Amino acid sequence: MGALIQMQGISKSYGPVHALEEVDLTVGEREIIGLLGDNGAGKSTLIKILSGAIPTSSGTIAIRGERVSINSTSDAISQGIETIYQDSALVPELSIARNLFLGREPLKGPAFLGWMDQGAMSEVARSLLKEVGIEKDIPPTTPIGSLSGGERQSVAIARAMYFDSELIILDEPTNNLGVAETQGVLRFVRNARDSGHSCIFIAHNIHHVFQVVDRIVVLRHGRVVADDIDPAQTSVEEVERIITGMEG
Amino acid sequence: MPSFVKRLISKPEFGPFVLLLAMVFIFWELNPAFLSLRNISNTLAFTVELGLIALAMTLLMTSGEFDLSVGSLFGFSPVLMWTLYNTGIASIEISFAIALATALGIGLISGLFVTRLKIPSFLVTLGMLLVVRGTALYVTNGFPQRTWNAKDLPLAQLLVGDFTVAGLRLHMSLLWFIAAAVLLSILLTRTKTGNWIQASGGNANAARARGVDVNRTKIKLFMLSAAMAGFAGVISSIRTAAANPNSGTGYELEVIAMVVIGGTALTGGRGTIIGTVFGIFILRLMRNGIVLIGVPGLAYNIFIGTIILAMMALHSWLDRRHQEGG
Repeated sequence: MGALIQMQGISKSYGPVHALEEVDLTVGEREIIGLLGDNGAGKSTLIKILSGAIPTSSGTIAIRGERVSINSTSDAISQGIETIYQDSALVPELSIARNLFLGREPLKGPAFLGWMDQGAMSEVARSLLKEVGIEKDIPPTTPIGSLSGGERQSVAIARAMYFDSELIILDEPTNNLGVAETQGVLRFVRNARDSGHSCIFIAHNIHHVFQVVDRIVVLRHGRVVADDIDPAQTSVEEVERIITGMEG
Repeated sequence: MPSFVKRLISKPEFGPFVLLLAMVFIFWELNPAFLSLRNISNTLAFTVELGLIALAMTLLMTSGEFDLSVGSLFGFSPVLMWTLYNTGIASIEISFAIALATALGIGLISGLFVTRLKIPSFLVTLGMLLVVRGTALYVTNGFPQRTWNAKDLPLAQLLVGDFTVAGLRLHMSLLWFIAAAVLLSILLTRTKTGNWIQASGGNANAARARGVDVNRTKIKLFMLSAAMAGFAGVISSIRTAAANPNSGTGYELEVIAMVVIGGTALTGGRGTIIGTVFGIFILRLMRNGIVLIGVPGLAYNIFIGTIILAMMALHSWLDRRHQEGG
């Protein structure tokens, strides 16, 4: 399996606080990584660096062996890296369909008019919502602000799904989700791998991680303490001990 | 309650629409002259001038910003245009183009200050209000510029020429207003630009993360708002046969009131041109109606303040109900 993403020697400091120290992380093609760690372990910082939300203090990022610089979220998106945050990064006042296509609106008629193809947007939105497990019949014209937290998360996932990103980072995607919605997310992650995508999956619920990932990486106090845990060969309890540093 | 009625009530335009209907009915009941052809004609002529500014301000406020300098631009642009024309520096058409280009430039400067220097639009446009008004007063020594020989010029005819429909005397400015309302409503609801405007006001960080150029979107709207204020000022100067450097004083707050009464959120993200059209007519008809029914004009602000508070309470209630899935 070739490497899609290679992060090497990544460090991040906030004044005297070292959030990350010399972290190496590799994500293979068609690989799903589970990134685990206790609160403050550095998971979110690492993900924010990869998604362009914050700059790194030192270290390099390469995609398929070629060094890249990711200075903004737009850079990350254009490099094929899509991040789904806990708070979903959606616009509450816009409809589901308009959020899904924000920044990449399909147009009809002469391009200079910028006339959105709202029929196509609604159609795609409706089928994507079903795919990510929203079983209620929610019209695609519904404003995001009136959806539940879980439904919003599903819309963010649907967006990553539709735009076919090479690496999809899911930061606590199953937080606040119902059973059907959680299963939808997990199914989406499996489907993503089957169709050639790679994922980094972060979740507090280790059982969710175990259901979908190929490999688990554990961070503790800003350092990688394990990066090749095979969930098929390891118990949840063992991983919990690695996370807390009580391996004995 | 049937679902279509629920949907109708939850729309931000519904409250202002009902209020407008109620106002028309009450004023007409109390004084039938309220709906006389002459009164309608006079009211429309003045209403659309402020209305043009309110339409552009709706887009700017939807993007999460607002512009306090529009009243000053309403006074300054015609002063500039008529000064150039009256002193023989340029033809009326060139003077008009220079006045609008200057307004666009002023909007550009406001937009750059807000987006590049990260200064709140309240402070930037408050400063611009004083700079523009001060310039208009300085250039003219505080005296109005003559425009009384303008009525026969083709440009004046195009902007404010009058015509009669079924006994009703109307000005061309009404057609400009209708065209602007239709175009800007389509822009906001049907186009990619409208999507970006709403996203910029609703969650600028999320919009940026999707590749939306939030800063450029806002700068263009500051320019549109300034140009529309200048355009409205020119129209007003021709209609009233005077380019007064003091005209438009206080319009900024009245325009913002029109927009928020119509249902556009002061915090950005949600905007409606149709609602603004209702808001425009609510405020202008209120001013006209209370005079016609014999309420002292000095009491006008009491009514306007009450309407603003009532409409804000209504929009807030509808928002909460919407969030709760009601």
